[in-house]
Amino acid sequence: MAAPLLDKLRAIVGAAHVLGGVELSPYVIDGRTPLAAVFPGSAEEVAAVVAFAAEASVPVVAWGGGTASSVGMPPPRAGVVVVLTRLRAIVEHEPGDLTVTAQAGVTLGELQTALRARGQWLSLDPPDAERATLGGVLAANASGPRRHLYGTARDSLIGVTVVTADSSLVRGGGRVVKNVAGYDLPKLFIGSYGTLGVIVEATLKLRPVPDEERLVGVRFERLKDAGAAARALVGSDLIPSAVDLLDGAAAAALGLDDAPATLVVGFDGLGEQVDWQVTQLAALVAGGGGRGVASLPPSAWSRLARASHNAFGTPAAVMTLSVLPSVVADVMEQGTAAARHRGLVTAWSAHAGVGIVTGAVRADGDRQDPATLAAVLAEWRAAARAGGGHASLTWAPLAVKEALPVWDDAGPAGRIMQRIKAQLDPRNLLNPGRFVAGI
Amino acid sequence: MASMSADRKAALRRELLSIVGTGGVLSDPEELLVYESDGLTLFRALADFVVFPRSVEHVAAVVKLAAREGIPFVARGAGTGLSGGCLPAEGGLVISLMRMNRVLELDYDNQIAVVEPGLVNLHLSWAVGPRGYYYAPDPSSQQACTIGGNIANNSGGPHTLKYGVTVNHVLGLEVVMPDGEIVWLGGRTRDALGFDLAGIFVGSEGTFGIATKIVVRLMRKPQAVKTVLAVFDQVEHASAAVSSIIARGLVPAAVEMIDQLTIQAVEDAFGCGYPRDAAAALLIELDGLETGMEVQASRIVEACRSAGAREVRTAADEAERQLLWKGRKSAFGAYGRVSPAYMVMDGVIPRTKLPYVLSRVNQIVAAHGLRVGNVFHAGDGNLHPNILYDPRKPGEEARVVEAGAEIMKVCAEVGGSISGEHGIGLEKADFMPFIFSAADLTFMQQLKAAFNPRGLCNPGKVFPTKKSCGEAGPVAYRPHAIEAQGLAQRF
Repeated sequence: MAAPLLDKLRAIVGAAHVLGGVELSPYVIDGRTPLAAVFPGSAEEVAAVVAFAAEASVPVVAWGGGTASSVGMPPPRAGVVVVLTRLRAIVEHEPGDLTVTAQAGVTLGELQTALRARGQWLSLDPPDAERATLGGVLAANASGPRRHLYGTARDSLIGVTVVTADSSLVRGGGRVVKNVAGYDLPKLFIGSYGTLGVIVEATLKLRPVPDEERLVGVRFERLKDAGAAARALVGSDLIPSAVDLLDGAAAAALGLDDAPATLVVGFDGLGEQVDWQVTQLAALVAGGGGRGVASLPPSAWSRLARASHNAFGTPAAVMTLSVLPSVVADVMEQGTAAARHRGLVTAWSAHAGVGIVTGAVRADGDRQDPATLAAVLAEWRAAARAGGGHASLTWAPLAVKEALPVWDDAGPAGRIMQRIKAQLDPRNLLNPGRFVAGI
Repeated sequence: MASMSADRKAALRRELLSIVGTGGVLSDPEELLVYESDGLTLFRALADFVVFPRSVEHVAAVVKLAAREGIPFVARGAGTGLSGGCLPAEGGLVISLMRMNRVLELDYDNQIAVVEPGLVNLHLSWAVGPRGYYYAPDPSSQQACTIGGNIANNSGGPHTLKYGVTVNHVLGLEVVMPDGEIVWLGGRTRDALGFDLAGIFVGSEGTFGIATKIVVRLMRKPQAVKTVLAVFDQVEHASAAVSSIIARGLVPAAVEMIDQLTIQAVEDAFGCGYPRDAAAALLIELDGLETGMEVQASRIVEACRSAGAREVRTAADEAERQLLWKGRKSAFGAYGRVSPAYMVMDGVIPRTKLPYVLSRVNQIVAAHGLRVGNVFHAGDGNLHPNILYDPRKPGEEARVVEAGAEIMKVCAEVGGSISGEHGIGLEKADFMPFIFSAADLTFMQQLKAAFNPRGLCNPGKVFPTKKSCGEAGPVAYRPHAIEAQGLAQRF
């Protein structure tokens, strides 16, 4: 089976662009080694690979920088990994239009460097920008601290080109910033983890690079107080670009003093606007237990999104909770207590203004009991659900994935998702079995 | 659909009344006439019934009945749409959401509101204004249009340049699916689990189901607002100023363009302080912090001057600011002074293509022996050419429709779109192939089938099909009822 498959793939993309055997180790997920990894050089080659995979009835797994490859249920079947990194062209950047069209495989870092050279940026700042590709960031709906002001991929993506399960090239949206012609297909592909199509190109709205940008930290004795300060900030006249909340372990990972709680706030704009806001922030936190406002190095920005994840080197598990902003500090405290109760150590960080909370559990050698871990994570999930939200594992070893569903229960909406999947990928070939609702 | 037998109609009427109660069903032809068109009066279609549910349970029961009987149905808000999107193209039921107009919850701590679909857009901003909040999407019909209708069309407005369109402000929706099931898509928190169903539902023009509760974001009112009027002797210079502003790293809240014909109509009607001899004017609004506002305004002034503005003026006070906006917002009403009728077009182009496309629009309209006034969201590249005509002159309306199609083709040719905010509806269904391939359209049809497999929910819309018009075909212009009452304008 493997040899003819590889030969066919080599015929499509060229022998130099197909990996097999031991070369596949970077693409192993939860112990499952793919059949092959191919590096197509054009959208047409992607389509040809998908057509061939469909003919051979093998799954297609779209792959960018691999930064989110651990997210999801363990793959039930081995497939062909389609690595998009050769599709890395910036197709069009017209500063006067404030839009860019680029191929999916360009890394976010590379794209931002090119845009910044012309005074603009894409307002998405997920972790691992040097490795994460544009297509991967969209497919994983990855985000970072600046989402507080600038939103997520659904606020920037205006057009997308995908290779669909029937190997057609389909375009949704367009290249203009306002567009209601037809269904908003770009929304469909954001966060869909390659289950509905392989993104090969995208068009996004851009923003001008601000004159100045500053990141500051305020230390608190209690998470509760830091949470209250975050809410007061969000309800004030200030326009912060980031409002993050860190517990002691996550703050330490960022190189900050390990105060029990740190409120990290970003501001951008004209120099005088940044100065004025920092001054106002100091006044705002002074009465609520905040201990001074300290400037943080710009390098801290890129580490914020993974502050809790990185607190322990390789953690035992990481869960991301989507909750109402008003309960962020409570959820962090509850989650910490639930873990401590079972002898586990945690680190927490949150994009507090938008209610995205990440908790990481410290690995404890080889003796970590997956059942205990799963029980704690189930409590975290219950806390998120109690507040009208949801929680999913963003990183976990196979044993934990087997003990606790990676994704939260999508309820009746999950059935609509299944119907969408059945319509658009009836043979279930696109990254099957790893997503929400069994998709 | 073919007309119903009297017996069947009477039975259906009884059953509908048993669901929504006395006074909740219209079936007399004279009463139904009010619902035969939306803001685009060129298209008309009569429903068999108009039903007024008061709760999600009512909506679900009505939809289940329609599904059981195989009757097409369409949701309707205020009927201010401009593409025929809420017309009962194939007869059947119109489900009016106007009695579901409550604000259900205001959660200031989390900056969200939960509202019913029939709530008038502006009423939400009124409700939260005293607490320093507002609802950002501001379609020009916001005094009349409903948030449910905004969901269907993913409506924009002047301030979407900075703040985005409806979908950027919607977190979750309770929806009655076309089979009557009640489902939540998304919710109150960010980053919905799984596919972004709320995101894809917004802008689906009522073909995926009926939204019955909507969770929206509330925004803090900006500390300061500054409005600048830039006057140009050449349209090209005004167009170039738009890209110049963008390229200089400025993101105003709004950049609106008004051309000479429109300025003169507005000045005749209202005297808002626009110079009558100007070829074009840009109305530019900045908002945000008080600190830095002067610096940003000076950058705008500089960008306009260097693009060739002959005069750049900042509104001295709130009264002058309101007067300038009145000129912009009442432009459509003012056309009544210069023409018995007009048809508003809606297309989008890359901002840098403005000079070229505006000149093409003028050429096309002139070639058809017509006049055009332009007043539009220049900062977004969202054109609204308004073709003036006299419906009493034989053949003139047909020429308007032809010119409109040519303008849409130009938008498509420069990499733009055939609709920025009015939607496809019936009007532009046949234009979809200008910008989408057969594969694109097939994919969209498949997506629709996942939500609306039997096609009973708002049939005949969005997709090109020969029989899509049914009984609804272009007819002579006449003002819509709410337009005649001065409650809404065509933007």
